[in-house]
Amino acid sequence: MLAWFTPERKTWLFQVNPALKFVVFFALLLITLFNQNFPFAVWQAVFYGMLFYLFSGYSIRKLALLSIPLLISFLSSALTLIMFGKGDTVLWQWYLIKISEESIQHGLLLGSKSLSFGFVGFTFLLTIQPVLFFYAMMQQFRMPSKYAYSFIASFRLIPAVTEELQIRRNALKVRNIQFSRGVKGVYERLQMYTVPLFAESIRRAQRIAVAMEAKQYQMGAARTYYYTTHYSRMDTVFVIVMITVIATALSLAFI
Amino acid sequence: MKKLKFTDLLITIMIGVVFGILMKFWDDLYTVVKPIMPVARQLIYGMWFMVGPFAYLLIRKPGTALIASIAGASLSAFAGHGIEVLMYGFVQGLAAELVFAAARYKRFSMLVAGLAGVASCAASFTLDLVYGYAALETWALIVKYGLRAISAFIFTGIFAVLIVRALEKTGVTSLIRPVDKKEYSMLDR
Repeated sequence: MLAWFTPERKTWLFQVNPALKFVVFFALLLITLFNQNFPFAVWQAVFYGMLFYLFSGYSIRKLALLSIPLLISFLSSALTLIMFGKGDTVLWQWYLIKISEESIQHGLLLGSKSLSFGFVGFTFLLTIQPVLFFYAMMQQFRMPSKYAYSFIASFRLIPAVTEELQIRRNALKVRNIQFSRGVKGVYERLQMYTVPLFAESIRRAQRIAVAMEAKQYQMGAARTYYYTTHYSRMDTVFVIVMITVIATALSLAFI
Repeated sequence: MKKLKFTDLLITIMIGVVFGILMKFWDDLYTVVKPIMPVARQLIYGMWFMVGPFAYLLIRKPGTALIASIAGASLSAFAGHGIEVLMYGFVQGLAAELVFAAARYKRFSMLVAGLAGVASCAASFTLDLVYGYAALETWALIVKYGLRAISAFIFTGIFAVLIVRALEKTGVTSLIRPVDKKEYSMLDR
């Protein structure tokens, strides 16, 4: 699975400081979230799409595969608004479904926003390493080390947890457990899976915390890092490119 | 105020991450249900509000709801849902945290937990409105988010409380919760 996520080539985006990349991308997504202007939303989606398809460094085949969920989320969010949105200039109506000019426009606005979210999100995920991201958050953005290391430790345990979930699923299958129908069944499912999973995860997390403290892991103290992360010239380039992208999208939309 | 120790913090984040994994599997179910039964899909949506209140009910310290919610969201973000879920994780966790703060971090009942879930739901609703769902017809908004709020109450108020009770029976909660005065006085006997 992880082998799948090795890029074909390392583009300039890979050299950008991961924490800086996160902060900039997060700011871009806030702009996308609060924007209500349709052309601006479309231009943002176009530029972020270029970022994703040209500079993520993955092969066309993989990018096409990753485009499927993006397309689905575009369609599902846009169609909901197109079919059930407000609007006075009705084009077509069938029972509860009412398609109007306004609802189509609102639907496409929402669809473009969800595309922007998807492109930026994937570009970020494809071009960082989670562990380095947390190290950079500590070093460049002063995230308290107890948070960063807790995240790193928990992320390291993901394979163990998914394996446990799989074992539990098989165990229930072997015992031929039948669930009730309806809400009660949902609860039974939830309880059967979560109780052993959480009991084990909590024990494990507690043991790790105790072990870390026993090895003189100190929360507030000044520390050195196994992986050092820096700012480089590429970070300046990145920030300039992103500002240009937003400025261009704004000017294309409003001028 | 009971402060978070490093152990509590690590466990809180671990719970968030485990919930993130569960939500990933839940998401598969949600995607299957999505097109066929729109009502049922809103009714299982409460799972997404469960993480914060659940962590708080388990650890019973201020800040856990918010931190666990962000941790869950960051796992979802890394699992391919995109960075925007972090915004949702943050506002949902914050809303739940505020409800627990209003109860002065002293009540762990179904009502308070359920209200925290509904508050999370309201917070995510606000973000959805900004995102673009404000343009939905009013009836659609009421049906969609009304069902979602009900589901939030069921999942966080009832399911989370019951699962935490079941976990108490396993004995793991004794690892994390502050030791009661009663337990100290038992040593004196």
